Amino acid sequence: MAKLYVDVDKYGDEHASPVVEAFHSAIRDLVRKRLDESGCGWSEFVFGKSHELITQDDMAAVEQQLLDAGHKFDWSAAISPRERPDAYKASAGTSDEDLKTFCFEHPDAPTAEADGDGRALRGVGDNVAKYPQNVTGTARYVRSSDRVLKWLSDGVPDNTIAVIDDSGGTLTAPILEQFKGVICAGGTVRSHLGILTREYGIPCFMNAKVTGIYEGDTVEMECSAAAKPAEFYQQGKEQTANVWRHGKG
Amino acid sequence: MAKPQLSYAQLLETNNMLQTNGDECYWLCVTRTVQESKLFPVPSYMLLSYLNCFYRYPGLLAKIEEKMSAEEIGDRMRNMGVKIANPSMGWGLTNFYLLGREWLIAAGLLRPQDAADDVMYVMDFWKRYQLAWHRNDGHLFNKEFDHRGQFLPERQLQVFHADLYDCQTGDELHEAAHQFLAAASQYCFLIACESRLCLHTQGPYKIDDQREMIVRDHFDLSECSLPWLDGVGAEVPYNNLTVTMAVDDCHFHICDDWGSTEAEPEFKADKLSGIGLYTSDMLSEGYIPVGMNSREELTQTFHELAGNIKDATAKLWQRIAGWSRDQMMDAGAITYYACIKDLAHVAGVYDVDDWMKIDHRADRFRPLFNDEYGRDCLGEMVGLISLPQQQISDYSMMMHSNAPKRVYTPIPYDILKTGDYVPSVGDVERGITYLPEKEDRYNTTQGTLTLSEFNRKAADFVPETLQNDRNLLCETWVKFHYDSPQADDLYKVHQKHSRLLKDRGAGLRRADIEKIRSQE
Repeated sequence: MAKLYVDVDKYGDEHASPVVEAFHSAIRDLVRKRLDESGCGWSEFVFGKSHELITQDDMAAVEQQLLDAGHKFDWSAAISPRERPDAYKASAGTSDEDLKTFCFEHPDAPTAEADGDGRALRGVGDNVAKYPQNVTGTARYVRSSDRVLKWLSDGVPDNTIAVIDDSGGTLTAPILEQFKGVICAGGTVRSHLGILTREYGIPCFMNAKVTGIYEGDTVEMECSAAAKPAEFYQQGKEQTANVWRHGKG
Repeated sequence: MAKPQLSYAQLLETNNMLQTNGDECYWLCVTRTVQESKLFPVPSYMLLSYLNCFYRYPGLLAKIEEKMSAEEIGDRMRNMGVKIANPSMGWGLTNFYLLGREWLIAAGLLRPQDAADDVMYVMDFWKRYQLAWHRNDGHLFNKEFDHRGQFLPERQLQVFHADLYDCQTGDELHEAAHQFLAAASQYCFLIACESRLCLHTQGPYKIDDQREMIVRDHFDLSECSLPWLDGVGAEVPYNNLTVTMAVDDCHFHICDDWGSTEAEPEFKADKLSGIGLYTSDMLSEGYIPVGMNSREELTQTFHELAGNIKDATAKLWQRIAGWSRDQMMDAGAITYYACIKDLAHVAGVYDVDDWMKIDHRADRFRPLFNDEYGRDCLGEMVGLISLPQQQISDYSMMMHSNAPKRVYTPIPYDILKTGDYVPSVGDVERGITYLPEKEDRYNTTQGTLTLSEFNRKAADFVPETLQNDRNLLCETWVKFHYDSPQADDLYKVHQKHSRLLKDRGAGLRRADIEKIRSQE
């Protein structure tokens, strides 16, 4: 069997990710095999015969090996499980039907019983910008382009505090300006969603750790708290603002 | 321009650039953002783009330099706001190419010495471009300047400074500018498939003891090289817009090679105290004012542009929402790969097949790039630095992390003795796309052109700033010759469109600009 340049490595061995390790091991096996079969040396192979001998079908087979072993891929873009539901884990909490019972359940979300004003702590987030007063509105999840498309035609319901797990700026691009507030379960204050909400003057918590907030709940964001500086992430410093649910005890 | 030849000195320099680019790439990726999207498969399309860069950049850069050198394009870039700014040039050109190389090494498909001629050339092209573009601040990239980018000459800064309209929270211009900036940022993220590649901020420039000026560019807003803007971008009248901003009581301590900023205290809307608006491209004589004849006209222009941009955002979003995953992959990969396409537009050698297609050699790997592999592999390459070849001697301490790692594998020096390397990936080969073919319309400052018209005009165009050896009249020359007719002529080229400085010449200093502003 042919030996590859990277087969001898004094300091490196395995990848951190099992999926990356599985794919790269399979590709290296394939390269050894095709190099042997080609009957040529590396110099002719690397930018010559390998372009014909290492094919797109080979790469599809590399992925299929993992699927055949029972693996289902995590998804990040909604289009991925929609096109290949057999290859990806189920995308729960995206349809209107699912959202009747769905909620984010972050294991590290701080919670407390309702206070005298009926506010129950349901989590915290990194405040993007400080505002004079807290904001209260109706929690509505935005986790699919279907919902964005619907609200793009019908308008965003009044008083919506969008609960999101996409720290990007594109999923909600055409309707973002209509949100009263945003609670995002990912990213940092410097993520694109953080940048855009700050420019629009919309209260926003990034990296939110929340639990037990359901579609239609009344929630209050403590956006009067101090904004989290970007350098705190590198310094490992925490500075959060609270998210309360009203009225459910 | 002769390509660099393999030698010990050349390898030392090339490997130095690999190391410094890797150090900065790590810092940017770890500290500046978290990239994700529910709409686009972002890490997956990034991986596809990196491979496309690896296979195609060497051939395309050589094609550009047959017409115009990297350093001449860099010289021209000091006088316009087009996409070959940051993040494209300070980060994208080198790092996208090198990440493609690193992926192929990890997969066993490349040895670190293979494509050595290509690596030397790509890094050398980058160095020459950057040194020319950064000529006024004298650095190779913003990282080297402690994260600052001061590209513009005094004569341009004086025009930007003088023609700013004052504004403050609550007035109509301030509100209109603020709304425009938010809408434009959002549109730029969408055009660029969730990336920052259509936005660039440079500076800061000191206006007075209490104020700094930053210059923010927005690229590819109208019908341009990107096929997904055909139709939807038609109502946006300018392809590139540059906004000049004066900011009170706020110091921009980071202006990085991604073109993004950090300020202390934080830059919020209430700090904005002056604003201006310009357009430019590779066919314009520098920056052309937009709506700058009066305060009222500028306010109205911001309102109208924000409206155009919001309409275009909604239309583009609906188009994208209907795409297949392969189309999203293509658009994202092309956005990254073609971030340097304006090099070809400046030189007048742009070809749609060169820049809007995925090379078949890169496309072979597309089936690997599902969401999980994309996320994990990108995370390993630029965040964890955990690919096996990125691990180095246990005594080593990487910049910013102190871990025994490095982002990019150097070219081994033993090839000088053995000659055992394959120099190049070769020419650009056939490409594919799942997107509709680009329609033959390009919105420029010379009107809407076909590509052949655009290329012809670009190839023939020599901006006044480069005519008559003006390019060699640098800031040091000005310092010692400002009282000469030649210096006056130089300044008047930049003052041609200025509301307050037209024909004022070279004798003014910063304090004079403030006096002129106060007399308006």
